[in-house]
Amino acid sequence: MDTTALLDSLHPLETKVLTILKDADCPRSDTELAEATDLEPSQISMAVGWLLTKNLLALASEQITPIVSLSETGRSYHASTSPPEWILQSIQEHHERSETITVKDLQAHDYFQPTELSRAIGLLKKDQAIRLVSGGVLERTGTESPTTTALRTVLEHVAKEAQALADFSSAHQSLIRQYAVKRGSLQEPFRIEDDILRTYALTPEGQAISQLTTSQSLEEVSQLTPEMLKDGSWRNHSFRKYSISLRPPRLAVGRRHPYREFLDSVKHKLTSMGFQEMRGELVETEFWGMDALYMPQFHPARAIHDVYFVKNPTHAKSIKEPFISQVADAHEHGGATGSKGWQYPYDRERARRLILRSQGTAVSARTLANTPDIPGKYFSIARCFRYDQVDATHATDFFQVEGIVLGHEINFRTLLGLLNLFASEMAQAKEIKFLPAYFPFTEPSVELHVRHPHLGWMELGGAGLFRPEVTIPLGVNVPVIAWGLGLDRMAMVALGIHDIRDLFTSDLEAVRNMRRKF
Amino acid sequence: MPTISIFHHDLEQLLGQNANINQVETWLSLVKGELKDHNPTNGELRVELQDSNRPDLWCVEGIARQIRVSLDTKPSHYPFLTNKGRSKRRLMVLPGIEDVRPFVAACATTGYHMTELGLTQLIQTQEKLADIFGRKRQTVSIGVYRLPAISFPITYGLVKSEEARFTPLGFTEKMTPKEILAIHPKGLEYGAQLSNADHVPLLWDKDGQVLSFPPIINSREVGEVKIGDTDLLVEVTGTDLSMVLLTLNIFAVNLADRGAVIDPIDIVYPYATAMGKTIKTPLDMSISQRISLNAIEHALGTPLGSESIQQALSGYGYQVKATRHTLSVKLPAYRHDMMHVMDVAEDVAISRGYDSFTPIMPANFSVGALSPVETLSDQIRDLMIGFGFQEMFSNILASRTEIVDRMRLAGTEHGHIVEIENAMSESYSCLRSSILPFLLRVEAASPRSFYPHQLFEIGEVALPDMGVDLGSRTVGTISAIIAQPGASFSEIHSYLDLLMYYLVRDYRLEPTTHHSYLDGRVGKIICGKHEVGYIGELHPEVLEAWQINMPIATFEFQIQKNN
Repeated sequence: MDTTALLDSLHPLETKVLTILKDADCPRSDTELAEATDLEPSQISMAVGWLLTKNLLALASEQITPIVSLSETGRSYHASTSPPEWILQSIQEHHERSETITVKDLQAHDYFQPTELSRAIGLLKKDQAIRLVSGGVLERTGTESPTTTALRTVLEHVAKEAQALADFSSAHQSLIRQYAVKRGSLQEPFRIEDDILRTYALTPEGQAISQLTTSQSLEEVSQLTPEMLKDGSWRNHSFRKYSISLRPPRLAVGRRHPYREFLDSVKHKLTSMGFQEMRGELVETEFWGMDALYMPQFHPARAIHDVYFVKNPTHAKSIKEPFISQVADAHEHGGATGSKGWQYPYDRERARRLILRSQGTAVSARTLANTPDIPGKYFSIARCFRYDQVDATHATDFFQVEGIVLGHEINFRTLLGLLNLFASEMAQAKEIKFLPAYFPFTEPSVELHVRHPHLGWMELGGAGLFRPEVTIPLGVNVPVIAWGLGLDRMAMVALGIHDIRDLFTSDLEAVRNMRRKF
Repeated sequence: MPTISIFHHDLEQLLGQNANINQVETWLSLVKGELKDHNPTNGELRVELQDSNRPDLWCVEGIARQIRVSLDTKPSHYPFLTNKGRSKRRLMVLPGIEDVRPFVAACATTGYHMTELGLTQLIQTQEKLADIFGRKRQTVSIGVYRLPAISFPITYGLVKSEEARFTPLGFTEKMTPKEILAIHPKGLEYGAQLSNADHVPLLWDKDGQVLSFPPIINSREVGEVKIGDTDLLVEVTGTDLSMVLLTLNIFAVNLADRGAVIDPIDIVYPYATAMGKTIKTPLDMSISQRISLNAIEHALGTPLGSESIQQALSGYGYQVKATRHTLSVKLPAYRHDMMHVMDVAEDVAISRGYDSFTPIMPANFSVGALSPVETLSDQIRDLMIGFGFQEMFSNILASRTEIVDRMRLAGTEHGHIVEIENAMSESYSCLRSSILPFLLRVEAASPRSFYPHQLFEIGEVALPDMGVDLGSRTVGTISAIIAQPGASFSEIHSYLDLLMYYLVRDYRLEPTTHHSYLDGRVGKIICGKHEVGYIGELHPEVLEAWQINMPIATFEFQIQKNN
């Protein structure tokens, strides 16, 4: 464990002990530590145990002191009388009443156990303070019993407080030992217990760590309160440390939708490249959605099974002139575009048919007709609809990122230049391929393939120069790049999604858990 | 656009050289082809062809031809297209057919020993051209026959649908066209292409033997080509002359590329066509066009010069003659897709290879900007997210049930929505007029996600409006919900109030009734003079309809200032 981890692992109790020992000139015992830290002995014992385990603390000395204290029996001897004292007194009282007393008489009382009495009689006889005459009668000899006196002295002494055995005279010591509780003999007045006094000192590691601990021996609290800040009392507290590796509770927060956030990054990227955003309508006419893009009315992608038609109303009121006529001319014979056109009779009624926008390019067509800036760059992120079976790769509606670039400088090479820029800005790609492609409204047309750092080779988009049949009928007389980017796959991989429908999932938990990986 | 199945060794044979798969894949950019799949065991390649104006490329012969032209750096020569003189065979067109299916083209091909592979490719080309280029046989359909079984001249005309009898492909007994339309699978599939089922187009030979009932089905007796056949008749009928002619040209050059000799047939019309009354087919329709060198150089951004443009076009199949500032260019007979000089410019670029053009960064300065509605949306989104609301993002197609019925809005002023006429499924048959149902869809799906649920979505809705050109308006709208025990009007009102404060909008609430909300707990949100939305606690019946067991307070309003 390195120092920081060790330091962090310290419990406040440990820190307190370390702090005391850091400043101590000699080892300290638990008692001394308890006094110095103002902690309970049990807390000190815990802290010392942990510190020993961590090898921050070592045992400096161990001193064993036998301590004498009174047993239950001893306390009763002290409070009333001890057996030899009682025997002497009983004999004396009988003697004063000119009566005799026998051992049996003594045993008839149940003040003491027979063993206690016989030991006391033995003691008194040994001291020659009594004698046993015929008939079992006890008599005093007139001699005092020094042992009885000594016993009383010791009882009085120890009753005040427990004393170290060593503090007594050797005669008293042997007396105490004689009358101390031993195994199997509980009816003894004294108890001798070993008091083990251990002292502890810091190890070199402990010394090092203790220098780093800052906590004073302060009162530990769990929460900083406004009151503490107001009166400054926080200085007198230490703050309980937390188990910071636990998982925190979850939060319900406000957050952008991850797919929308992805699209946000796209739109910000595009505005930073100088593109203006275009907006359009969800419901469009076939005219702006297809005719204006030079898709002939018989084009296979315009059939009933490719486009959603609006139920009511079915047709727009009108298409603005001169666009309807100019586009009709372009389809029929090229008009002023220099094209020979599609060579079919253009149906103006059909041009007004209302559909759900099927391609974002419709928005570009409207922009072209609305006196765009020249030079100018435009983009839209447009919701589009296709008549498709919904499955893992087909959504009912989806976003198309597309746009245009107008200017006299526009040509095939500036088109490739723009795509180069998209490759590096949108896909961080360094390797790219340009492949010939086909779109009804561009010529030349290009497919942009890039090597994405996370996805490998992928088709990033399609682009081209708008056909003059598109631009001229809409009143634009400079070359125009039309471009579209396919970013959904990138978004799906970034969000860890395998089904395109999940970009718009109704599962709140999934949305809360979704995050971008790149 | 079509995806076709071709075979590696067949392609190599047509190219006259071997080529590994990587080489083939590189060449595919010449035909806007993408290799979708490669089976190394049997050499099958699945190739998607992008260009819907180049049906000549929707077959292995066409792909090989375009590559071969590029390798040879000059166009292929097909003598049958330039030989003068009358053909030895004729096809007579009868009056009356001009109103139904007016055009036909045909040729005989001899000397190519039909192989199994050649036959499958022929059938594939026939299907792709008739289905995609011919719009499900409407404008173009194709028949191939065993030539020796036919005696000339052939007649093409209208007959009463119960008068002729022949054995159609796939059947063993003779049937009338009427019966074919009634029971033959192809009759059922393509019968709708005929405007009049009483009088139908028919091709028959000198002996009265029926060749075909176009565009429905060919005769089994003469129309079942087999492996080993050497001499064939190919015929194309349709409603567009140039498409009919182009289709026959494609078949003719394809068979010629496999070694057949092509014998043209004279088509004799009783009426004038754009190509005259008698047309010898195959016919090279393409005519030389003068185009400006400058236009190509300008489009490609490179002063390529006359010579290299000429080389590029020759190497792509064009016949080219150059003068100082113009080129005279002519497409090969199997193409009919030059509408504008830009088409030629692209062919120059493809022929030279896109990689040969150095990209240039567009240098014109322009100021980038978000639209006002997007800027406003973003401002509101930031505020709502700061208020602790999770943003949601939905599909915007839904069912009438979700948008109207479950919201208790049927028959109310809020029950009008934009509906799809040809919806694929009821679930996606309407444009949303409100975002709230989409948030309820989330709530209904997410009772196990921990609470509170504070959700919002901002986006487009379509509001029917007969006063505008398109019959509906697309309007930016925000909806927010609080779903939790105790969700209340007062709480959601606090958020609305705060939102309006930061948006610097004066607004007021006016008591109202709205069937989606509890009476007495719903307000109309009014900004200036405009009613922009509603705020309130949702009606328990709405929650029940969505099977939601949580009270919901919500607001929804249109964000644009000038609506």
